[in-house]
Amino acid sequence: MPEELQKDPLTRRQFLWMGTLGTFTGVVLTVPSAVFVLDPAIKDVLLERSDVPAEWKEVGSVFEIPASEAVEHLVEFTQKQTYDAGEPAVNGTGAKVETMTNAVLLSWRDGKLPSVLSTRDEGPLPKTQIKELERDLNALSNHCAHLGCPVRWSSETQDILCPCHGGIYDINGDHTGGPPAHGLWHYVSRIREDGTILVKHEFYVQQKGQIGPGVKTKPYVV
Amino acid sequence: MIARTTARIRGWGRDLMDWMEERTGIVSLTEKLLYEPTPARGRWLYTLGSATLFLITLQFLTGILLLFYYVPTTDNAWDSIHYIMTQAYFGRLIRGMHFWSANLLLFVIGLHMVRTFLSGSYKAPREMNWVVGVFLILIVTIMAFSGYALRWDQEGFWAWEVGAMISSYTPLIGSWVITTLLGGDTAGPATLSRVFALHVWLLPAVLAPLIGVHLYLLRKHGEFGATFEYSERLAALRKRRQMEETFGSVEEDGQVADAGDHSQEG
Ligand code: HEM
Ligand code: FES
Repeated sequence: MPEELQKDPLTRRQFLWMGTLGTFTGVVLTVPSAVFVLDPAIKDVLLERSDVPAEWKEVGSVFEIPASEAVEHLVEFTQKQTYDAGEPAVNGTGAKVETMTNAVLLSWRDGKLPSVLSTRDEGPLPKTQIKELERDLNALSNHCAHLGCPVRWSSETQDILCPCHGGIYDINGDHTGGPPAHGLWHYVSRIREDGTILVKHEFYVQQKGQIGPGVKTKPYVV
Repeated sequence: MIARTTARIRGWGRDLMDWMEERTGIVSLTEKLLYEPTPARGRWLYTLGSATLFLITLQFLTGILLLFYYVPTTDNAWDSIHYIMTQAYFGRLIRGMHFWSANLLLFVIGLHMVRTFLSGSYKAPREMNWVVGVFLILIVTIMAFSGYALRWDQEGFWAWEVGAMISSYTPLIGSWVITTLLGGDTAGPATLSRVFALHVWLLPAVLAPLIGVHLYLLRKHGEFGATFEYSERLAALRKRRQMEETFGSVEEDGQVADAGDHSQEG
């Protein structure tokens, strides 16, 4: 039946040429467009780049975090996307630096004030004490580990609650109830001698009860 | 006097139509497009597709109007909508129509789908119309979702973010999907540009021709259960009765029982 419909028979050579040219044209038409649209995915996933430069940002001080309480701090990160060049506005170029605001929930492990802090309330802190404090500090992203709604600390119930689908976390950010598959993301953080806490826009997830950096992943969005 | 004038105008009108018909075939085309037999049974239920068509057309029209003011940047998106709502004449009306028609559209398209399902209209030879329909409802849903994000207010922002996060759970390519949707690994100016490109250009450009295919297939096969389909089936049934009367009972797989009746297949 198809042979009958074919008016001018194709030779094998013609057929192969058509196939080659067709494939070439198809590739030329689709590959650049697809790569153009997928540009951010290629840069983030394959080349492991981020919109946010790895800068340390200050988020309060170790002396301000009370026992049994998670306090929220806002932090402004530089964000490089599309029209913001990421350079400060110099020479009248008007290049704009886009920023985004993230919230960090700061608390002590299990809500217990580290012993160091019971004896002093200002810096400078020696190296060993900094190490101790860094081990006990939770610098949590407020981005719910389920679908990213902003979570908040509830002092009445002593846990971190998500307004969207009822995700519940304890003061360490460990998952205790609701749909999230794991605990909250921890910011990569460090403590300066004067007690200032610094965070980077890089994240890891801890196993329940684990101390120190766990698996590095991205929460995306905020 | 008046009678003569109206007769003359009518004559001109007829001349104009003849002239157009000869050159464009517009009259016969309109006739062909307008006169389509529909089932006597079901009545209003068979207007749901047309209602969907009406609403999606309304979306295209009011959407184009909104573009005269809307600005797709994180700095100005919200303000431009605020301007539409508070300053532009009839701004509330145009935006309200776009909003309510979008909501109604999702409802009506669902009803239309239920109707075609319950009446068995997806059966042979209309399977492809169902398949095209599934793509239509998918696209319409993504349209509604992306339109929500264009507002760039708290609701729209978080809705899009939750949607993007859902997509990140796609097996194997989750991180590719979410970074493509966000235009990066965070939500920002690139995200809004992408949502805008999807909502205003890409999805409508895919939707419009698909609606064309949907309607073409509809007219190709005719509305399911329309009069002619019944008359064919009735004729087949009558013929079968006649055969039965003449020859006694006819075998299930006999040629006679088969004639023209597709409704039992699939
Ligand atoms: C933008 C979206 C859509 C538009 C504008 C549209 C429009 C129409 C119109 C005008 C008709 C004829 C009138 C009627 O049967 O009500 C029709 C028929 C049909 N539609 Fe849709 N439709 C849409 C979405 C869908 C969806 C989501 C489905 C199901 C998955 C679907 C399945 C069908 C089928 C199977 C028919 C044939 C009905 C028959 O022959 O009885 N359509 N559509
Ligand atoms: S987003 Fe927090 S529980 Fe779903």
